[in-house]
Amino acid sequence: MPFTFIDIERQKSWKIGLFFVILLLMYFFSALVIARMVFGNIFAKGVIQGAFNAIYIFIFAAMFAFVHFFLLSYDVTETIKEKLGATDLDPEDDLHKRLKNIMAEIHVATGNKRKMTCAVIPSPAMNALAANDFKGNALIAITEGLVSRLSRDQTEAVIAHEAYHILSGDCRESTLAVSLFGFSMPFMEKIMIYWGRLYLLSFILFKLGYLLNMLISREREYRADAGAVRMTRNPLALAEVLYLLSKNWRGTGLISSDLEGLCIVNPRLDELDESEGFFADLFSSHPPIEKRTEILLNMAHAGVAELEARRKQTATKSLPEETEKKYYALDALYAWQGPYAVAELAALPWFSPLTWVSDGSETTTKASQIPALRETLKTRIAPLEGKISEYPCPVCRQPLIQQHYEQIRIYPCNFCGGTLVDWDKLPRIIIRRENTWSEKIKAQACATLKENQRAYIMRRSKNNKTKAVSLQCPKCKRSMQRTFYSYVYLVAIDRCACGATWFDKDELSMLQCMIENKMAGEDFAEEERRNDRRAPAPRQ
Amino acid sequence: MVGLIVLAGIVLIVVWGIVTFNRLVSLRNEVQNSWKQIDVQLKRRHDLIPNLVSVVKGTMEFEQDTLEKVINARAKAVSAGSMQDKVNAENMLTQALGKLFAVMENYPQLKSNQNIMQLQEELTSTENRIGFARQLYNDLVAQYRIKQEVFPNNIFVAFFGVFNKEVYFEAEEEARKVPQADTSIRPKS
Repeated sequence: MPFTFIDIERQKSWKIGLFFVILLLMYFFSALVIARMVFGNIFAKGVIQGAFNAIYIFIFAAMFAFVHFFLLSYDVTETIKEKLGATDLDPEDDLHKRLKNIMAEIHVATGNKRKMTCAVIPSPAMNALAANDFKGNALIAITEGLVSRLSRDQTEAVIAHEAYHILSGDCRESTLAVSLFGFSMPFMEKIMIYWGRLYLLSFILFKLGYLLNMLISREREYRADAGAVRMTRNPLALAEVLYLLSKNWRGTGLISSDLEGLCIVNPRLDELDESEGFFADLFSSHPPIEKRTEILLNMAHAGVAELEARRKQTATKSLPEETEKKYYALDALYAWQGPYAVAELAALPWFSPLTWVSDGSETTTKASQIPALRETLKTRIAPLEGKISEYPCPVCRQPLIQQHYEQIRIYPCNFCGGTLVDWDKLPRIIIRRENTWSEKIKAQACATLKENQRAYIMRRSKNNKTKAVSLQCPKCKRSMQRTFYSYVYLVAIDRCACGATWFDKDELSMLQCMIENKMAGEDFAEEERRNDRRAPAPRQ
Repeated sequence: MVGLIVLAGIVLIVVWGIVTFNRLVSLRNEVQNSWKQIDVQLKRRHDLIPNLVSVVKGTMEFEQDTLEKVINARAKAVSAGSMQDKVNAENMLTQALGKLFAVMENYPQLKSNQNIMQLQEELTSTENRIGFARQLYNDLVAQYRIKQEVFPNNIFVAFFGVFNKEVYFEAEEEARKVPQADTSIRPKS
């Protein structure tokens, strides 16, 4: 029977509430058991006195749990931010701007009940988590990998899911549950040595509490899915996200185990998570993605086949078109060169509006006669793809152009082809994979890497420091330092203390190409050596 | 003893009455507030449209008709007085904008313009916000109406008669579609 999201939400709320009450009762019961062990029989002096004693014990136990809860959750959002290196949204970044808009939309959808902030974890993993602390800060953290790879609707579904965790108090309840049952095992084991008789009973109680917790956690995920659909009315987008997440890296090792209950999918890949039944229900914090997706697809009246089709459709849509027209050009020595694509033609130093070109057929015309070429020539004369910035190029002293590349603001120079990037934006450029690389760049990257490896080894063995000409930072006018991007990806860059980083022509794309194709490390060196018997590549 | 029971009964009824009354009042305020939220978002849209039109104008010379429709619809929506007028005018505007977006798809040079992409993102976001605000408003109105109409609240409401029924913000079927490929499948559930 297909449930609507309202039914699911109501049903799960009942279930969670009931389980939570049982959890609390169990906690107080174990407190009573401990008291029995420590103080002896509290009902020894009659029922009324015993009842009073029990109430004292309850109050004490509640206070104990509350203090622990307070300590645990006082600063939890700051701790998470620190632990995962999450940063606030960058207002100059188009994708982050979109995320900010989405947050605002979710605020509207929930009736502005609660102020939530969003932070981005700089990691290519795909996951998101929510937390709120005692001071009333609520935080939704989402990885850069997720921001970059999801469509607008999909991101909205994720944010809605996390927002529901915060609004419904899931985050607070799960922290409370952890403080009720999480802390006590080592502490108890020490005490219990002296009172061995009831040890087993309270041990079982605490273990049961833990299992119940896991069960509640699973129910919460179902409820948050339903809640997200209530906000966005788009079950298909959430189903797509789950489907995508199930096929990708979720951040194992990045997100520590005490935070996993707060994530949208369990970062630990666990066999139990994907199985159903009694044991799975007891031991894992997240329900099987398969089942979650099925419920969502039921709401959308769609099947897995449609999901797969949509995924393929978006995948093919993002591929670059290969139907670009190629031209032959007549060079200064009256020889035909080519074929060139329009961009390649424009990059030729001898190409001008008066050059004779042909598209392979019989006719030859001047370049200025062909509209497409005229446009490129125009942009070469006045390169105004973006605004002229206030910074000068450190190499050729021309003003840099302000442009967006992979949706991030960068400052290229149209004369020498170099690029100025902020150091903290580099990881984002590397993570986002919107561009594909031509064979030329690949070959160039490969050659540069080998060349620089050799040079680096030579320099280290001779131990002399070559003094390169230092460039002046366009932003703060101090001199920049020439280093490699890293000692694995040996691309020469100029860095300034203020964060500005200068790449010479093609070096940025080469770096991206190297990292995306994993051109460094043992495997690559091995392969290169096989290809290149004459001179074995130096190892680091 | 009988007196005590009667007294307890009266106290219970009075407490129930107070609780119901307060719940109805707070719901009424929430409904009114959420209507104001729609207004805020509509205002945002009105502010964005002139920017869009001025940027697009140069490239889309041949589509003056579509552009003019958007401008007129906006003018009407800004000056609309009564609630029903407003709803109609806004629906017209949504339709006109949808058409504009559809036509814009035919101009690839618009897509490479950073400014327009930004504006389109802002407008998409605003459309979504209007949609969400409307959704919240309708959900609240539904809650409010249910609260009024269930037994025994309906007797209570008829007795006091201070709670009027709010109307739903209804959209035409065509206007419901946000002009975007991904959002076209949005079941009403």
